[in-house]
Amino acid sequence: MKRFECLQAIAPLIQDELFVTTAGGATAEWNAVRPSDGNIQVKTLGLCSSIGLGVALALPKRKVFVFDGDGALWMNLGSLATIGLHQPKNLIHICWDNQQYESSGGEPTVATAGRIDFAAIARDAGIKSSVTAATVDELKAAVSHVLRQDGPHFIWARIEAGRAEAPPLKYDELENKYRFVRYIEDTEGINILRVAMPASYLQK
Amino acid sequence: MGTVAGAQQILAGLKQAGIDLIASVPDINMLQLINLLYEDNTITHIPVGREEEGIGVCSGAHLGGKRPAMLMQNGGLLNSCNALTTTALQFGMPILLLIYYAGDIGDNAFHMVGLVTEPVLQGLGIKYVVMRDPMKVKQDIAGAVTLANSSKRPVALLLTRAVL
Repeated sequence: MKRFECLQAIAPLIQDELFVTTAGGATAEWNAVRPSDGNIQVKTLGLCSSIGLGVALALPKRKVFVFDGDGALWMNLGSLATIGLHQPKNLIHICWDNQQYESSGGEPTVATAGRIDFAAIARDAGIKSSVTAATVDELKAAVSHVLRQDGPHFIWARIEAGRAEAPPLKYDELENKYRFVRYIEDTEGINILRVAMPASYLQK
Repeated sequence: MGTVAGAQQILAGLKQAGIDLIASVPDINMLQLINLLYEDNTITHIPVGREEEGIGVCSGAHLGGKRPAMLMQNGGLLNSCNALTTTALQFGMPILLLIYYAGDIGDNAFHMVGLVTEPVLQGLGIKYVVMRDPMKVKQDIAGAVTLANSSKRPVALLLTRAVL
C-alpha cells in the first residue's frame, strides 16, 4: 500500500484531532489531504513522537496523532519506552515504514534488513494497543479502532516507498506554530500565548 | 545529592514562576529536587530516557498550554543541542532549562563538560544565569521564566552546588 492512499482513506474519519508530523514526506502529503491548523510540522528528525507526547500530556482529553517514519523512529526509539512509561490514553502513534530514508535519497534504515518488528517493540515497551497494518483496509480499521478506544496506541503501517505529488507547505514553522496554538486556544477555550503588559502600565 | 532545603526553595521558585510541567533526566546533585518532584502533585513530572526527548516533550507541552522546564545535567545539554536548535529555537518555544553545572569550579568530575557548557549555550544563543547565591534563587528563576516567555526562547539556569 502507498502512504498517500492510506492518508486519503483515513482523512474522512478525522474530526478535530491534532497531528504532529515527522520531518519527511508524510507531512506534505497529510497537509495536502487534510489541510488544517490542527497539523504541526516537525523539523528535528525523530522528535515527532516526543513532541506528540508533550501535546498529549498537556491536553489529555484531546486525541493526538503522531506520524513517524522508520528512519525517524530508529533515531528516537527510546521514545516508545517513555510513552509506555507515561501511558497517555490520547496518543496515537503511526509509523509509516517505507524501509528507507526516502527524504534523504533512499538510503537503507534499520527496517530495510527486514528483521525489526516495530509493533512488537512498542508492545513490549508497554504500549498494549499495538498493531501492524499492511493493507489500506487494515489501516483504516486500525484508525477506526484507535479513535474509539483509549490508548496509548501504536500502528506499524508497512507501506511501499514512493512519495505522491504534494504541494509545498503553505506555512513555515513559525506561522505553523502560531496557527496551531491559536487553533488549540480556540477549540479548547484556553489562553496559551500571552503578551505581557508594558512595564509603564504595571508601575502605575 | 543536594539539600532538602535547597530543593524546596527551587521548587517553590518554580511554582511561583508558573512552571507546571518538568521533564527530567537525573543527576546525583539534583537527587533531592527530583525526589520532591516525584512527591509533588501540582507539577506534572515526566521522566524521560534522554534529554533530547525532554526538549520534545517540553515543546509539545508548551503547544498544549503548559509552562515547561527541562531538568538535566550539562552533559544532557550537549545531548539535546539539535532539538534545542531545530525545534525549541527554530519554532520559538519558551522552555526553562534547569541544568546542573558539572565540571564547574570546585567540582571534581566531568571537567570537559564544564569547560564547554557556557560556550555551547553562547553558541546556541541561549541566555543563561550561573546560580551561585542561595539568596537569589527565586529571583533568578522568576527572571529566567519571564525572559523565556517574552522572547519565546529557551533560557537556562546553571545550578551549582551552592544553591542545591
